[in-house]
Amino acid sequence: MPGPEGRADDRTLVEQAARGDREAFGALVQRHQDRIFNLAYQVVRNREDALDVAQEAFVKAFASLSRFKGEASFTTWMHRIVVNLAIDCLRRRRRGEPAAYDDRLAIPEDAGQNLAAPDDPETALETQQVRTLLSRGIETLPPAHRAVLVLREIEGLSYEEIARAVGCNLGTVMSRLFYARRKLQKVLQPNLDDLR
Amino acid sequence: MRAVHWLHTLGGLGRRLAAYAAGELAPADRDRVASVVRVCPACRRTVEAYRRTSAALRGLPRVALTADEAAAFLPEVNRRIDQGRAVTPRPVRAGLREVMWDHPRLSLASAFTAILLLIGLTLSQVQMWGLSGTPGRNGVDIISVDVDEDVSVLVFQPPGTSLKVIWVFEDSST
Repeated sequence: MPGPEGRADDRTLVEQAARGDREAFGALVQRHQDRIFNLAYQVVRNREDALDVAQEAFVKAFASLSRFKGEASFTTWMHRIVVNLAIDCLRRRRRGEPAAYDDRLAIPEDAGQNLAAPDDPETALETQQVRTLLSRGIETLPPAHRAVLVLREIEGLSYEEIARAVGCNLGTVMSRLFYARRKLQKVLQPNLDDLR
Repeated sequence: MRAVHWLHTLGGLGRRLAAYAAGELAPADRDRVASVVRVCPACRRTVEAYRRTSAALRGLPRVALTADEAAAFLPEVNRRIDQGRAVTPRPVRAGLREVMWDHPRLSLASAFTAILLLIGLTLSQVQMWGLSGTPGRNGVDIISVDVDEDVSVLVFQPPGTSLKVIWVFEDSST
């Protein structure tokens, strides 16, 4: 059934794709690829890995379309796939050296909306320093804690949605979230005044 | 400070303040924590720190695919599908570090048990060697055992190696 803008909604596209319609699946990919890539990036903090995880997530989704029952939205279902792949990727990577965060590779979509005005060099520099600290702090978190933090603070998911996405109970979500927030707060403590 | 006492007796002060800062408490809990935060400067500073950290997280720039990456994204997905490169679903198991974070009491109990086992094993080995003389069981060669009031030294050679291991037992009270 077409949506309000004449586009087929996700559920219709999923049904068509599950019957083997690759064009419908392509439409789903193109609709969600940016959001899925961003989610993968926020967890793995490395552009190359994020691209691989995002693409692999769609491959895995395609292979599992027949099992998608539609109880949750396609986006929520994709969250689960991406987060699990991203956690898996981090655990593999942690056996070696963690990739360094390169802020230059991040392309801000909404620069200026939440952050300092770019024409204030001093504030911009402080914001950049805080971002770098924050990114490093996130990188020190265990993969599952990092995923829960990103889903809550950046993606804005509810506890229940996070529990479904990472496959744990609500208590574990709350516990991981608390430890992650506390750790980041400690990392940022010396610079918190700059965030006023 | 009855309200502060209530928070401390629950043992979840930090968790509740973090959840309060994020607006995640149920209304009844929220009101009780708010009454504490009003009269507790340290709690207020903690809540403020959590709020600023959250704001900084939400202010992190979203990343987008470049035009080239966006154009190549779907063809790559299709290529992988056609090649049957779908990853085999693997259960994601929590790493040891995460299990320890999630279950701190279990971790402590495990560590305590391991230490007890190690002590028990060590004591039983020393006693066994003392009774049987050298060489010990399992091909372990006891090279020397010096027992003193303050320090005892055991030198032995594990089977199949030329490595000599020296264990020193010190009386920590001296």
